[in-house]
Amino acid sequence: MAKTENGVRIFQGLLILGNVVIGMCGIALTAECIYFVSDPHGLYPLLEATENDDIYAAAWIGIFVGFALLALSILGIIAVIKSNRTLLLVYIILMLITFAFEMASCITAATHRDFLTPNLFLKQMLERYQKPDAGNNNDKWMSEGVTKTWDKLMLQNQCCGVQGPSDWQEYTSAFRMTYSDADFPWPHNCCVLDSRGSPINLDGCKLGVPGFYKSNGCYAAISGPMNRQAWGVAWFGFAILCWTFFVLLGTMFYWSRIEY
Amino acid sequence: MCSCCVVLVLCCLGLLSADQSLKPQLGDFQFATNNPTLTTVALEKPFCMFDSSLYPNRSYAIYLYVMKESASTISSLVTDESSKPLGSTFQQTSGGQLGPYNAAFFDVPDCAVPPRLPDVGDMNKAPDVLTQYLFRVGDDGTCLYDPNFLGVCNPPLVPDTTYRFKYVLVDNSEGIVKDQTLWSDPIKTRRSKLPMKIDTWPGQRSGGMTVITSILSVLVFLLLTGFLASVFSAVMGSEDASAETKGASPTVQQSELRPQLGSE
Repeated sequence: MAKTENGVRIFQGLLILGNVVIGMCGIALTAECIYFVSDPHGLYPLLEATENDDIYAAAWIGIFVGFALLALSILGIIAVIKSNRTLLLVYIILMLITFAFEMASCITAATHRDFLTPNLFLKQMLERYQKPDAGNNNDKWMSEGVTKTWDKLMLQNQCCGVQGPSDWQEYTSAFRMTYSDADFPWPHNCCVLDSRGSPINLDGCKLGVPGFYKSNGCYAAISGPMNRQAWGVAWFGFAILCWTFFVLLGTMFYWSRIEY
Repeated sequence: MCSCCVVLVLCCLGLLSADQSLKPQLGDFQFATNNPTLTTVALEKPFCMFDSSLYPNRSYAIYLYVMKESASTISSLVTDESSKPLGSTFQQTSGGQLGPYNAAFFDVPDCAVPPRLPDVGDMNKAPDVLTQYLFRVGDDGTCLYDPNFLGVCNPPLVPDTTYRFKYVLVDNSEGIVKDQTLWSDPIKTRRSKLPMKIDTWPGQRSGGMTVITSILSVLVFLLLTGFLASVFSAVMGSEDASAETKGASPTVQQSELRPQLGSE
């Protein structure tokens, strides 16, 4: 009898430990997803304009799943200590629902990351950057967002275009409709600017003289934060779910063995 | 006899070397990387090309003529009958389609002191180096539409078209052409593609996404199966318990795993 009682105690202890870890991971997941949703790099307008902003949806789900995991882990600890079948059943069912939501978040983040290719941003930049007013308010909102984001990107990261300034020469663009090639082979933000925001040598920039224009592409500055967001949500969520799987299996086994 | 041969040889050598360089050249690619663009071409100014024709104490000017390569079958003359340079404009020749037009004129570049390209790194000297070394054809986008413009118009070129260029040395006082280079090699302006044609299909699914989706699907399946199994076993267990009589031997389920909370 004592041996099985010890076994029960150990099993309860393991379940409680499992729930504690789940609770802490829930807090971490919430914090991480709040950080991503706050968009510290200001790249959300680019995704909004591609109408493919589901990695943000995954982060939003992550916030609420994190809270749910915290609350359910506390419920789970109480239920295991009291060995109450009803509480444990409620815990199991709610945890299954939370598991499903978190699974959706992980798969969404991982899948939609695959869509964020250089060509996607190139096409969007060419079609929307400095696009003159056209169409409806939604279109105008997206174009303004893209323009502001690109201007900020080019200033802060010392870069031009997606793969380089030659993107502006190789393709026609909405920018080219308004600004002639002779005056603006590429936007003036692609030139090296002085402290007042004007190009240090406009002719040098137009001719492409090294040192007067920015020859790097901005893709690294865009894909870096987006990759970190997508992988952060997807893989951390995956890790939590793997752990939760074992805790849930243990809880179901425990539930099936205790009496009313 | 010998001296005549030497002079002849030197003359020939001189002619050979002059012929090779007597053409307008595109600006050095290491220096001006964005060349030619869609509507502009940056040419090197004619350094030391006309030195044999220059006399001291006379003022000269260099005229630049531009024509489309297709116009070479129609007319490629840059002088009229009296050896005066043609005053054709961009509009008169339909942008170089009917013949050469005069795009600019400037002073003869100083052969003795050519611009030092590394100096472009110095912010103060950079603008001078650029204007001394290169001339940009197609630089002025507004002169065509400005009714007050009186100078020589150098409007933007047409994309995806081949052009040829020529420098002409003109004596300012007489107004006569003294020397001219050959027509340059054909130089083609860039062509641009439509952004609609860019293929944004992401291609194959990444390995990470496949791993996450497949493993999570399996885990969910196992969880649901486990849940059903435990509910089933709980239902069966309660049925067995209710079917037993009071005196029956205790079953495994009743004796095992009874939590002993608070019982001493």
